[in-house]
Amino acid sequence: MKSAGLARPVAIRWSPLVTALAFALPVVFVLVPLAIFLVYSFFSVDQGQIVYVPTLANYLRFFTDPVFLPVFWRTIVLCLSVAVISILLAYPTAYFLTTLRGRWRYALLMLLMVPLLMSYVIKIYAIRSILGLNGFLNKALVGLGILAEPSTLFVFNMNAILLTLTLLLIPFAILPIFLALERIPQVLLRASDDLGASSLQTFLRITLPLSMPGVASAASFVFVLAIGDFLTPQMVGGISGFTFGRILYSQFGTAYNWPFGAALSVALAVVVIVAILLGERFGRNRGASL
Amino acid sequence: MIATPRLSSILLAAITVLVAALLYSPLFVPIASSFFPMARGEVDWSSPTVDTYVALVGNHEILFALRTTLVVGACTVVLSVVSGTLLALYYHGRRAGRSLLQFIIFLPFLMPPIISGLALLIFFREIGLERSLLTVVIGHTVFVLAIVYRTVLTRLQSMSRTLVEASYDLGATKWQTFWRVILPNLSSAMVGGAILAFALSFDETMITILVTGTQTTLPVRLWAMMRLGFSPDINALVALILMFTVLLCALAARFLIPKQIATQRS
Repeated sequence: MKSAGLARPVAIRWSPLVTALAFALPVVFVLVPLAIFLVYSFFSVDQGQIVYVPTLANYLRFFTDPVFLPVFWRTIVLCLSVAVISILLAYPTAYFLTTLRGRWRYALLMLLMVPLLMSYVIKIYAIRSILGLNGFLNKALVGLGILAEPSTLFVFNMNAILLTLTLLLIPFAILPIFLALERIPQVLLRASDDLGASSLQTFLRITLPLSMPGVASAASFVFVLAIGDFLTPQMVGGISGFTFGRILYSQFGTAYNWPFGAALSVALAVVVIVAILLGERFGRNRGASL
Repeated sequence: MIATPRLSSILLAAITVLVAALLYSPLFVPIASSFFPMARGEVDWSSPTVDTYVALVGNHEILFALRTTLVVGACTVVLSVVSGTLLALYYHGRRAGRSLLQFIIFLPFLMPPIISGLALLIFFREIGLERSLLTVVIGHTVFVLAIVYRTVLTRLQSMSRTLVEASYDLGATKWQTFWRVILPNLSSAMVGGAILAFALSFDETMITILVTGTQTTLPVRLWAMMRLGFSPDINALVALILMFTVLLCALAARFLIPKQIATQRS
């Protein structure tokens, strides 16, 4: 964000109207809605009407009711698992990309990013049909003799959410890891080689530590995107796959308790902010550039 | 990277192929079934057909939703490019309060869409704005603004100050400098930002679901239809949309990448 050297500000004098607009836009359409949202979490609902009297009841309910906290923790664990699996698949892929030369490297990277362009909703639907009882996965497993008969293990439960989210979010893990790997100076690797290290030693002592910022960013991206998703659990989760996002969403639909939903959102926001800050803290590239 | 031993590079290639296969499998299903009829959950490979594409032309509900999506996308692009560019020009180089306001602009993009969407939902209710396409456009604009802002700001920061100084030295006024020097330099970044904004708006589902009225965009329409299962012509639409978005992104890459590499080299 620092403007270095030549790139100093372009001098334009602004009329007060533009100044007002430049401040008003973000404040009115972002800050005010979020502030109202936060205030709402201290209200309550009585017979379908919102009671505008401040109370801590929503937060007390979240912490004391036996339903919400377990789902909250389970969802966090689920999204952490999604992040870990995505990284385990994305790291070797990103590493392989960096072993390729010039044009191929970026062509393949683009190829791996293209699935992001496909409609999110359609992808969820397609994945559900792959995981389903008559789906491709079951056919393949039965065909290979791993399963005796098609299993319902992969759809309408937590596993299904885990698999679907992973499939949807892998590209978000590949990109930051690739960028971190690519930024590692070749000189370091050659120096390590010259000093007699084996490729495995070079990888473990130089490449892996220097790529950790990319891994941290990847984990933070995937986790945040996974925990905010309420469509995937709704679509592939069935009755047993209940996540926090789903409960939150239902407060604004069937359960109709906006203030409680707002309080749940605050809890979600806290987790997301922590994840983003951790990603920022460990995602900074230190000493990787010469 | 240093040359890896043979075995490990084969292993890496194998994992990459697996990941690519995993990523492409959900794309393959609708495209395959757009050309081959489905019977009892099985694709019938024996008789390729374009019937689904013909049926699509007659599906008014879907075409209407597609039109709505395009209209929303166009409005979002105009609003976000104008305000994003304005904000980038304004905040560029300004220290007082800049980082805070920049942070606020980025919030809707960083926060899970369910939080941005619900905050807007309550906001619209409190100011008495009925849910409609207008609220959807506002939601999309707030969401994509950060991307346009960032793209234009990056270009501004890589722009040489000497260009502007030269313009002033040669006697150009403030506005002449803006129209003849600054804006042309920003144009490709603005086009790139516009394409990204359109692509994001086109597929936005989670915020839209929360702030939409009765008339809605394609992803939300598709979401509603999924409970009943799809008619096969949806697959045709999906295949067409995929081709269209790939094309769009190739365009975006063309507008965004060459210029940046060029400025880095100079």
